[in-house]
Order: sequence, then structure tokens, then C-alpha cells
Amino acid sequence: MRSSLTRAVVLGVGLGVALVASIVVAVTIGPADIQFGEVWATIGSHLGLGDSPLSVLRDGIVWELRLPRVLTAAAVGAGLAISGAVMQAITRNPLADPYLLGLSSGASLGAVAVLLLGAAVLLPFAAFMGSLLALALTLILASSLGVITPTRTVLAGLAVSSLASAITSLVIFWTVTGDSYREILGWLLGSLAGARWQAVAITFAAILIAGIPIMLTGRLLDAFAFGDVSAASLGVNVSATRWGLLVASALLTGAMVSVSGAIGFVGLILPHAVRLVVGAGHRVLLPLAALSGAIFLVWADTAARTVFDPRELPVGIVTALIGAPVFAFLLARKRQLT
Amino acid sequence: MTGLDASRVTISVGGSVLVDEVDCSVPHGSLTALVGPNGAGKSTLLRSLAAIVRPDSGSVLFEDENLLGLSRRERARTAAIVEQDASTEVALTVRAVVELGRLPHQSLWRDDDADAGAIVTAALDAVGMADFETRNFSTLSGGERQRIMLARALAQQPRLLVLDEPTNHLDIGAQLDVLGLLQRLAGQGVTVLAALHDLGLAATYADHVIVLRAGRVVAAGPTASTLTPALIRDVYSVDANILTNPATGRPIIAFSALG
Repeated sequence: MRSSLTRAVVLGVGLGVALVASIVVAVTIGPADIQFGEVWATIGSHLGLGDSPLSVLRDGIVWELRLPRVLTAAAVGAGLAISGAVMQAITRNPLADPYLLGLSSGASLGAVAVLLLGAAVLLPFAAFMGSLLALALTLILASSLGVITPTRTVLAGLAVSSLASAITSLVIFWTVTGDSYREILGWLLGSLAGARWQAVAITFAAILIAGIPIMLTGRLLDAFAFGDVSAASLGVNVSATRWGLLVASALLTGAMVSVSGAIGFVGLILPHAVRLVVGAGHRVLLPLAALSGAIFLVWADTAARTVFDPRELPVGIVTALIGAPVFAFLLARKRQLT
Repeated sequence: MTGLDASRVTISVGGSVLVDEVDCSVPHGSLTALVGPNGAGKSTLLRSLAAIVRPDSGSVLFEDENLLGLSRRERARTAAIVEQDASTEVALTVRAVVELGRLPHQSLWRDDDADAGAIVTAALDAVGMADFETRNFSTLSGGERQRIMLARALAQQPRLLVLDEPTNHLDIGAQLDVLGLLQRLAGQGVTVLAALHDLGLAATYADHVIVLRAGRVVAAGPTASTLTPALIRDVYSVDANILTNPATGRPIIAFSALG
């Protein structure tokens, strides 16, 4: 038993180092040709260590664009992975994911609605309310179909997310006069192109307020493995735990979506990948899924902004290219879920 | 010391009364069998007697303490339940499943359960599954799962152990092993209540028996004086002859259709 714990700690430290390395390297990659050393000298200068070697414009590219974007990608990836792992455990549904269950689209709608009403301060709160509402609708719809099965939940999520996406598009199309298609794509497919320091603040705050407390409930999530009665027999307050964790996941998802739009499949791919390596114990799974989600999205976003240079892909296209086949594989492997 | 003492326990689900003003008691440190035809309400009653599901009305006392008034964690340290047909989608090892039994003894954040490893190992040993600890739970047979869930309950170190058909899915050797284990636990002072389908096993192993029909207790008391041919005929509509096993001196029940 000790040895598996040791292995988890080694993996955690390894992933932590890999995350820092990913951030350090990803910041130096981009269309503007800036040397590795110059990038870090610039970042150092903003932290009070010496002077920036770059012109004001290029300094701005590093400090105002790239660094906050890479840090936001890491936080969003971690948040979505935690959210997905929690939803899979609480709903006993291996297909659960904030995107597939409609939370992300609901959050996008909430965010777009307040942005267009000119109430940007409420952005994270509106996104949270949007994701919570979408989750409630999905669960109500799924339970109205009879016994809640994973596939029914995903179908209900599809209905909710299609509706939320359509309304989002409609609202943007109605009100935005400029490049509304780009704007719509950004919210529906997810994009980190607009991430600045404010986005870093929102997403890191969400990780602190919701993500870390969720990660500390791993033992409770394990107790749900055999269903509600079994969890109750182990002394777990089932309904308080379930709703507390679902609301915390909605909060986490809402905060992430409010800066990134609806990036799909991160919450599905990473928890499943980590389970294959370390098993299903949540005390280990949650932190490792968070770290690998962060690494994954840092690189997915780096690919999104560089592969078709000078044009940019919404990062959600990259995650869907990887995530949709994983989803199909899970469906095929778990036919009994239908 | 009194063991489990329930009075006027009533549970209805969706308008139908499944358990109807049940009074029953399980002597401290005994192995008591709960028997009755299918649909008598045994599983529903067991969940309430382990205080996992709150009855609509009635009281459940254990060792003179109100079991329904304890905190959830306190209750889970006092009473454990082994349910029928445990299954999970989650890929947990056998050892991880048994470790769940330590949950009520652990705080959420700290490692404050120093003996957990030894207790889990002892629980796996007790059910004869020590060699399975690294296996994936969902790859086990029904009987093996049943024994692992019993080990999980043992890891809770309960003073009251409630089991729903613990011998289901087990071959005859494993059935006798499990009942022998329950007898030993009772001998160590654990109060054990098990729903059993097999009246022969109940007659052989149980000190006391509670007979449930259509949500009501129709008889209860020491096994030999309670489980009579007349009662069996009344409750199950079959004829029964109670013989004595010449090898052990314990009762054997021979059944035949009414006629």
C-alpha cells in the first residue's frame, strides 16, 4: 500500500515539474520570433529583476499576451479536469464531463448575456449561474426519461447544450456589429485568445476557492463507488456531499468558461487517462488529473495559436480532435451503459 | 447488556407500507436470523435497523443508545451493513474496497488512522480473501464480491453487523465458512443480524430467529422453539419435518409440498 502511495507522490512531483517546464517553454513559442532568454529576462524585469531586453511592443507580447494566456490555459485545464472527475464519480457516469452535460454551454450563455448587457463585473457569477442552471436542466430532463443512465444523461446534456449554444449564437449575432462569427466560435468552441491578467486572476481564484477544496474530498468520492446506500452506510452525508460537490463543480466550470468559452472534452480525457495509470482512488486521481489537465491545455493552446500561424484555431477544435475519439472509444467499450 | 431493540418501526415507500409497526430485538452477542418469504420487507427493515435509512416512525435502540440519533460517522463506527449484489463501475482494487470501511474512522484531510493497514489485512484474512487484495473488484465472481463486502464491513469494526443474504452466490463450502465466521464474531461480542433464505442454515447456525411476513413480525425467539413445522407451514405454505442430524445433533429441516 505504501508503495502505491509513493508511486503517486513520484508521479505528482513529476507532473508538477512537467507543468512548470511546459509553462516555461510554451511562453517562448509564438509567431513573434523572440528568443528563450529574452522572454525570461522580460518576465524577470516585470518581477523586479533587471531590465527588459525587448522593445515596448515585444515586451507587451510577452508580458501582456503570452504569459497570462499560458497561465490561464493551465488553470482552465486543471479546473475542467477536476470538474469532469468529480462529475464522473458523483453521477457514477463514466461519460460525465462539463461540456457533454451542457454546463459549459450554459456558462457561455450566462457569460455572453451579461457581457452584452454591459455588466462585465458579473461575468464569472453569470457563467456560474448559467452552468448551474444547465446542470439542473440536464438532470431534470434525464430523470424524466426514467431511470437515469449515463447515455440518457449525455443525451439530455446534448439537448440542453444545443439550446444554450443556439441562444448564445443568436444573442451575439443580434448585438455584435463587428466580427460576430469569430466571437460566436470563441464562445462555442472555446478560445484562450482573449486571456489577459484578469483571466489569470479569475481562474486562479476559482482553483483556490473551489478546485482545492474539491481535491480534498477524495475519500468521500471513493465512498460513492458502490452507490448512495453504500456511501451512507460508511457515514457519508450523501445528499449534502452530492449537491455540494456538484455546485462546486459548476462554480469551477463557470469560472473557467467565463474566460475561455466552452472548451470540450478536457474533463473527459484526462481523468480517464490518469485512472488507467493510477487506478480510481480519488485522493490520488484528483490532483494528478488537475496537473495533467493543466499540461494538456497548455500544449493544446500552444498548438492552436501556432500551427496555422498567422491564423489561430479556437483551442476547442484541438481538444475535440483528441477528445471525440476518446468519447467514442468509451462508448464502444461500455456498451452496457446505454 | 441489551443488543438491538426496535419498536414500532414503520416504513412506507410510494404509498405502500413495506414494514408495518415492527417490534423486534436481537440479543447482544448473538447471531440472529431474519427469515421470511420473498417480498416480506427484510431488506427494507435491515436498512432501518442499521439506521442507514430513517424509518417513517418507530425507534431503534442499540446497547440502550438511540441509533437514529447518532451522527453519521458515529453510527458507521457502531453499525455496518453488507448489502446484496454490490457492484461498481469504478476500477477499484479489492484492498481499496476494504479500505473504504475505514472511512468512518478517518478524518477527511489527515492520515490519523495508523492501524488501518493491519485492520484491513485482518479483515481480508477473516473472509479468506487475502490473496485477492491486488485484484480489480469488478473482475471477481459474485461470491468473491460478497466476501469482500463482508471484509469491508469488518474493517468498520462495528459492534452491530447487519447482513442481507450474506450466503447468496456462495458455494456450500463458502456458505459454511461465512456463517462460521458470523458465529465467531457473535462469540466475540458483536451483535449479528442476517437475513437468510435457507431455513436449514438458519436452524443450524442462528441462536435466535425473527420471522417476517408481509412487513410484520409473525414470530421471534430462540431458533429451536420458534422455527417449528407449524410456523413454517403457516408462513411458507410447505410441510416441514424437523429431524436431528445424527452426526452433529443439530436440526435438519426436510420440506415437502402441501398435500
